[in-house]
Amino acid sequence: MQESIKPPVEVRYKEELEALKATDTGNRPANWQMSPKAVRTFILGSPRPIIYEGKEYRIEKKYFGNDALIERCIITLAGNRGLMLVGEPGTAKTMLSELLSAAISGVSTNTIQGTAGTTEDMIKYSWNYALLLAKGPSREALVPSPLYVGMEKGILTRFEEITRTPAEIQDSLISVLSDKVLNVPELGDEGLLFACQGFNVIGTANTRDKGVNEMSSALKRRFNFETVTPVREAALEKQIIINEVDKLAKESGIRMEPDEDVAELLASTYHELREGISSYGHRIDKPAAVMSTAEAVSVYYQTMLTGYYYKEGRMDVDCLVQNLVGAISKENKEDLEKVKGYFNTVIKDKSGKEGGLWKQYYEARKWLK
Amino acid sequence: METILRSEEMAEIMLLPVRHHSPACALHIKKTIEQFQPAAVLVEGPDNANCLLPVMVHEETKAPFAIYYSYHDKTGKIAGEKEHYKCYYPFLAYSPELLAVKEADKRGIKAAFIDLPYGDILAASGEGRGLLKEEEKNNYNDDYLLTRNEYIKRLCEKARLRNFDEFWEKYFELNGLYEDSGTWFSHLLTYCRLARENTPPEILMEEGCLAREEHMAARIVQWALAERNGEKQARNRILVVTGGFHTPGLVERLSGDKWEETKAAASRLSGKHADKEQSVYLMPYSMEAADALNGYASGMPFSGFYQKVWENFEKDEEPYKAAVLDLLTTSGKEVRKKEGTVSTYDEICAWQMAQGLGTLRGKPQPGAYELLDAVLSSYIKGEYNIASDMPVRILKKLMQGRGTGSLCGMADVPPILHDFESQCKSFGLKIHSTLETEITLSVFSNKKHRNISRFFHRMVFLDTAFARRIKGPNLQLKKNLNLIREIWKYKWNTRVPAALIDVSVHGATIEEAAVSLVREQLKKDMSAGSAASLLTQVFEMGLKGQLEAVYGRVHELILEEGDFYAIADAVKSLTMMEELDSLYQSGLELGALLDTGVQKMIALLPSMTQIRDENLEESMDALKMLNRIAGRSSIDLGSKREGYYEALAKMQTDVQIHPGLNGCICGILYGSGKKSADAVEKTCRGYLTGTRKQLMQTAFFFRGLFCTAKDLIFIGNSMTGMLDNFFGQVDEEEFMELLPQLRMAFTYFTPAETDKIAQMAAQLHGKDREDITQRSEIMPDWYAYGRELDCYAQACMMERKTVQKSACD
Repeated sequence: MQESIKPPVEVRYKEELEALKATDTGNRPANWQMSPKAVRTFILGSPRPIIYEGKEYRIEKKYFGNDALIERCIITLAGNRGLMLVGEPGTAKTMLSELLSAAISGVSTNTIQGTAGTTEDMIKYSWNYALLLAKGPSREALVPSPLYVGMEKGILTRFEEITRTPAEIQDSLISVLSDKVLNVPELGDEGLLFACQGFNVIGTANTRDKGVNEMSSALKRRFNFETVTPVREAALEKQIIINEVDKLAKESGIRMEPDEDVAELLASTYHELREGISSYGHRIDKPAAVMSTAEAVSVYYQTMLTGYYYKEGRMDVDCLVQNLVGAISKENKEDLEKVKGYFNTVIKDKSGKEGGLWKQYYEARKWLK
Repeated sequence: METILRSEEMAEIMLLPVRHHSPACALHIKKTIEQFQPAAVLVEGPDNANCLLPVMVHEETKAPFAIYYSYHDKTGKIAGEKEHYKCYYPFLAYSPELLAVKEADKRGIKAAFIDLPYGDILAASGEGRGLLKEEEKNNYNDDYLLTRNEYIKRLCEKARLRNFDEFWEKYFELNGLYEDSGTWFSHLLTYCRLARENTPPEILMEEGCLAREEHMAARIVQWALAERNGEKQARNRILVVTGGFHTPGLVERLSGDKWEETKAAASRLSGKHADKEQSVYLMPYSMEAADALNGYASGMPFSGFYQKVWENFEKDEEPYKAAVLDLLTTSGKEVRKKEGTVSTYDEICAWQMAQGLGTLRGKPQPGAYELLDAVLSSYIKGEYNIASDMPVRILKKLMQGRGTGSLCGMADVPPILHDFESQCKSFGLKIHSTLETEITLSVFSNKKHRNISRFFHRMVFLDTAFARRIKGPNLQLKKNLNLIREIWKYKWNTRVPAALIDVSVHGATIEEAAVSLVREQLKKDMSAGSAASLLTQVFEMGLKGQLEAVYGRVHELILEEGDFYAIADAVKSLTMMEELDSLYQSGLELGALLDTGVQKMIALLPSMTQIRDENLEESMDALKMLNRIAGRSSIDLGSKREGYYEALAKMQTDVQIHPGLNGCICGILYGSGKKSADAVEKTCRGYLTGTRKQLMQTAFFFRGLFCTAKDLIFIGNSMTGMLDNFFGQVDEEEFMELLPQLRMAFTYFTPAETDKIAQMAAQLHGKDREDITQRSEIMPDWYAYGRELDCYAQACMMERKTVQKSACD
């Protein structure tokens, strides 16, 4: 079988998850694959390696940022309410929800992908019409939705981009979340599906476009909200870029090590443009485009690909700036002017003081057009 | 804990490290005193406060209160500038130090403070360090050395806790409940040793730690010798309670290499008390001020939360759990009251969250951070941002706590409070009532009233919240100067003594304190305008002796000042005072000062031509004021007057001059006979016949002109003709744009004058007065409808206003 571009979390971290499960001594909520403590270790990493069947497993930190937020997420999922992750695009909400479901239920693929075209039967259930006509309404003819599966098996259901679905459709979740029961009237007396222990919903919603404001307050009350904010430290952001790019490169079979200096360059650019102030204290105009770490990763990765295929495995600063332009001038043209201004003040000063790569970076400003 | 036994000659010394405002620490102190029954309890704190101990332990004294230390550096011991210094040593109900002295008192054990007197600590601190830090409120027991260094940062990262306070809560407060006192103190001591090892020695020196430890060690030895064992008794012990950071330093001095030094210092130490310049008082303190998160870092944050925990210690097995639950429901209730979105189910979820997080984080009970997390995730619906964070803000306020402490009747108060009381008595002011009293003062006719007014003004100046003026001339805003009575409201409340104690360092009487504060203000940077405003305050407070000094400073500032408006402001205050001098009778000769001010203004005038529209009013006022002063005969301004007109004429030569200002100058020059009506008309026509943009500026010109010479319009018909011409040239849209300026221009006329102008305008068009005043009849129904509409609109606006107001509240 051909390898997929991006294997699901539970496949990618199969061994880690098994080792954690086997060595887990904490209390497990019903139907959870591991205890809340082990879930936390899986996501936030552990300083000491885990020994399992004579092999050492180093659990690396997979989510950088607010540790207390992860703890709150885990406890929310163990409780009676759904978890709603909200935040700017590119703040790793989806990754976090995948990690949580892979660790808690062992599956991260039980997912509803919310779009403007999502209908109620995609959320609840629909029918295999051939079977329906042949056998009448029966469980066999029913096509379960991820929510149905989650309730039936007692696992987590992920609802991606929940706010993109129309509010009326979102509201079909209300009674399921509060009563933990789904009624299938067509099946008559057997039509009541009671949720098994371990079932819960993780929603993700983007605050940039269609916000959570349009969500009905009845539905809001069924969720605990966690706001995921961008990483606040440039050093951490650099680490994330390196980790993510390394992962992407390995998955695509690119034999090239990430360059720390370039990652630092990019991390500080993204960080400073997002925060509106440079490490030297310059005030900077913030671009309107999303300056997320995920964007920085993709700029880096694109540059890496160009380097790998065309530049004999060398990271090219000119190419980096070109990709940066592509990433930034998505929303409006003014952003590019702001970035130009940033290069002409901050990067100019840095190239004067630090020299080296910063100087090349400053010289590459000719591509900003 | 560390026990030191030097010799048979001495009592056993037991050193207990503490962290300020730690409930667990207080609990263990209590247990230790119970267990060991020491002969004396020595507590960290300047030893000149020993006299306050009986008040502190008195059952009527309620925490939070603070020891207020003040020091007047008369000899210049600390810095060249002989300044006033003050600091606070706050105590909460669960402060270990307070509990130690209270427990000692209960058991008849001697207790004393052992640190250097406040003034000596100041002398031992490096510039801008320790208690000499440039802060609004300096705290004696600031324990930042224990909470901020590289070691602690690494420790928190390793323990996966967000900051030192959470680390402390988990390992010392929560776990501390289940440990015996010996283990608890030994854990704390280990921690303090590590924190101290990671603090560079020069910082210890600069912060004044070393000098203080030397003194404390000497005092301890003195006590240990005094409490040596009697012949038949069992061994005596003395218990020393100090900030954990100092304990390792004390151990070294009492048992390490520095022992000989300490012994020698102890023998030198006399029982002498601190000099006269130092004073200490107890004052009620508020929970808000005691909270470390409130800007004055000291001790632990969330004082209200820990207060609850402390109260639960006696009655509850799990004090933290009870406090968390209590605050979850109280904050839920409050959020409901304000927003109405938190349901009981939310509270249940929050409670589950707090407990779950406590377990996940390995804490025996949920603590402050679990409480915060629970509210954050269960009470906030939607994105967490400034618009939705109200529940967290409410919770933080609750965790901070509210309320102030009180002192027992025998508490000594500084002389300034006695002065306050005696003055109130002599003026017959009621200070034992909790109701606000209103009093009307005829300040200019009644000497007693004048004195009361001065007293009130001084109290206002000292920021004591005792009295407020409801009505009366306001010299600072230069308003209501025609009033001859002042109406005041005053009320005694607990803030008054606290505020007075706070300023007691500045003097023994209200007057002295006010004088000293005036002098301090004079040292600061300020504009000439604010200095003149200070002069008016001094004037109102009747501090005659200070007038000269402030006068000198205003003079100095006017000379330095480069801002035209600031000087104008100052000159305005000065002329006002000069005019009111016959009433206030300050006897101050302001002539020379005014002279300098006017001269400076005239010198700056030529550069003031290109002003912004929003400054027009202010500039015109300044010009008019100058004109008024220049026109006065009392001051010899003959030469100035000419200079003034010359400056004005020079201003007009600038073609870029603001049209409003130009009009204003034209008016002044016309009024003084320097310019003929024809010349003014010519200037006006210049705008009218200019380019479109200039034409539009004519409204400004008229506004300036009418401000200073409105009579021009009644001379001949040319002015009205020009106005008419102007209106003819603009279209309707432009007219609407100009309307605000035109309205402003015509506000200078009285109704009769406007009427006359209208008549003139009508004549220009061959009509009569009646023709334009006559209006067509209005149907009564129309009128009623209009009225109804008006009422409706007004009601709508009122409603919106109240909604907005309640939203703001």
